[in-house]
Amino acid sequence: MSAIQTAFGLVFQPAVLVTIFLAALFGLVVGAIPGLTATMAIALLVPVTFFMDPVPAVGAMVTCSAMAIFAGDIPGTLLRIPGTPASAAYTDEAYMMTRNGEGEIALGANLLFSAIGGLFGTFVLILSAPALAEVALQFSSFEYFWMALLGLTCAVFIGTGSPVKGLVSLFIGLFVSTIGLNNPAGVPRFTFGNAELTGGVNFIAAMIGLFAVSEVFRFAISHSIQTAPQAVIGNLFRGWGRMMVQYWPQQLRGNVLGTIIGALPGAGADIAAWVSYAVSKKMSRTPEKFGKGHVEGIIESTSSNNAALAGAWVPALVFGIPGDSITAIVIGVLYLKNMNPGPTIFLNNPEYIYAVFIIFILANLVMLPLGWAAIKGARTILRIPREILMPCILMFCIVGAFAINNSAFGVAVMLVFGVLGFLMEENDIPVAPCILGIVLGPMLEENFVTSMIKSDGSYLAFFERPISGALGIATLLIWLAPVLLMALRSRRSTMLRQG
Amino acid sequence: MRVNDAITGFVLLAFAIVMFAYARTLPAIPGQEYGAAVFPMLIAVGLAGCGILMIASGFRQWQGAVIWNDWARTHHAWVRLAVIFALILAYILAAPVLGFAPTSITILLVFMLTMGVRWWIAAAVAIAATVLIQQTFVGLLRVPLPLGLLGP
Repeated sequence: MSAIQTAFGLVFQPAVLVTIFLAALFGLVVGAIPGLTATMAIALLVPVTFFMDPVPAVGAMVTCSAMAIFAGDIPGTLLRIPGTPASAAYTDEAYMMTRNGEGEIALGANLLFSAIGGLFGTFVLILSAPALAEVALQFSSFEYFWMALLGLTCAVFIGTGSPVKGLVSLFIGLFVSTIGLNNPAGVPRFTFGNAELTGGVNFIAAMIGLFAVSEVFRFAISHSIQTAPQAVIGNLFRGWGRMMVQYWPQQLRGNVLGTIIGALPGAGADIAAWVSYAVSKKMSRTPEKFGKGHVEGIIESTSSNNAALAGAWVPALVFGIPGDSITAIVIGVLYLKNMNPGPTIFLNNPEYIYAVFIIFILANLVMLPLGWAAIKGARTILRIPREILMPCILMFCIVGAFAINNSAFGVAVMLVFGVLGFLMEENDIPVAPCILGIVLGPMLEENFVTSMIKSDGSYLAFFERPISGALGIATLLIWLAPVLLMALRSRRSTMLRQG
Repeated sequence: MRVNDAITGFVLLAFAIVMFAYARTLPAIPGQEYGAAVFPMLIAVGLAGCGILMIASGFRQWQGAVIWNDWARTHHAWVRLAVIFALILAYILAAPVLGFAPTSITILLVFMLTMGVRWWIAAAVAIAATVLIQQTFVGLLRVPLPLGLLGP
């Protein structure tokens, strides 16, 4: 009980609450501006949180990401341009509602069900994380190796269109993680005598490059014309009671599915929204209404993407395995704050975990009034000229990358990764597996080498313990699934030809 | 600007071979079989595999080494890209000498003028944003941004 009291004490301090409030505003604005994603919001926030205590730092990131995912719905509904990729699944549907004069119902539904979805995911997180941590305490290097590999595998095979390109991105990330002295043998690798590189490639600088600077580059080549939307005048709260009653199964399904997909390592809010929208259409009694401005699918998928956000924290806190690119960044920050994620944090610093839970609940409650204000102010937010905003973002990136070690080397790293991220996205190579590789690389290597030394080089040892064996087989099945499917398909086609 | 997968594949393959060769030279821990070299070598093998797969798929849908999409045909876009790249580079080189504030104002100003913002708006925003960033990072977060000319 005392840990919970301590946690309340940690959160309910003026400085922490003000930080959370400011992070919420920042998340709303960034999420609402098309082209600036939730991940970018977090990337821009990290250099600032770097100098804070753990609780306000994590609080700022939790709140900012929740707000940004919700706010992505605003330009999607008003302009048919999703603010973040997580809103893309139902942008057309929501925009049709605006054209039918029901914009305020769509936005009201987005706001209400985003908050409820976030709360649902939070409660699953609160209930399941401590129980899973008990299990995780039994884990040895074999289990951790498989967990890390399973996370990376899901990121490549579930989260991307082309597994080969996902793998390329992952291997680039893993390669980057090997640079420097930080390896089991303590040997300098790929440093070529450069003193700055012995410390490794700074994760924050790399991430600012991949997620923010690459967007600045992309802005430079796009010439979209900015259109300001109509102001939303209607009553946002209209129909909340009716929607809650009429669509409770859809909402519940969205919440559950979102949380599960979020908790899967490597798949995040955007995939949750796509899957939930598809499920909603398939299960609906009126599928013919979908795509013509029908609120049913919006409710299910907007619940889903916010639930996924909280779900992604389950593997992140319990195993230190990120559920999506946002939690990958958060894990990197937790390590910097000496708040190493993993089951032991539940034993050693339970007050931090409770503080995270409290902040999650707070963030989703505060979303209702702040989200309402953001919708009302959408016209102003969406009118900020991109030509002025982007240079400021670039300057902020530069200073952020500089601030980590107070050296221009961070800025150079940021530039390299900015160009890399831009080239990767131009060629349909996803960026998310790369950041997961950078974060999980050291963990994967350490547990692999430790396991190999423990087992005297026998690969069988990776399957001897029950949980490790099950995780190993699951991972291998995901690897083999595309091959098996291909074999099955070719056999069926030859049988058809013969039959 | 879409580079054909085969070209990307060749680059990855070459990189993987160099990486593998380098990793082999890493010293082993005495008495241990698995040291610093294992993991980079495994990554190199994986990367080489991806490279070969991309070469194969790239040749199957060969439409020239590089497909220039709309933006890449306009020299406008290339100039903008080059300007942003040069501005970041300029910060790395100039900030220690000139100091944060002058460098930041110049970078913001040049970027905005390149994007076609009117000069007086650009100047106002450049100064305001620099003051804001300076206040946040130096005042609030105690980051010692380079003073340069303004320093002692």
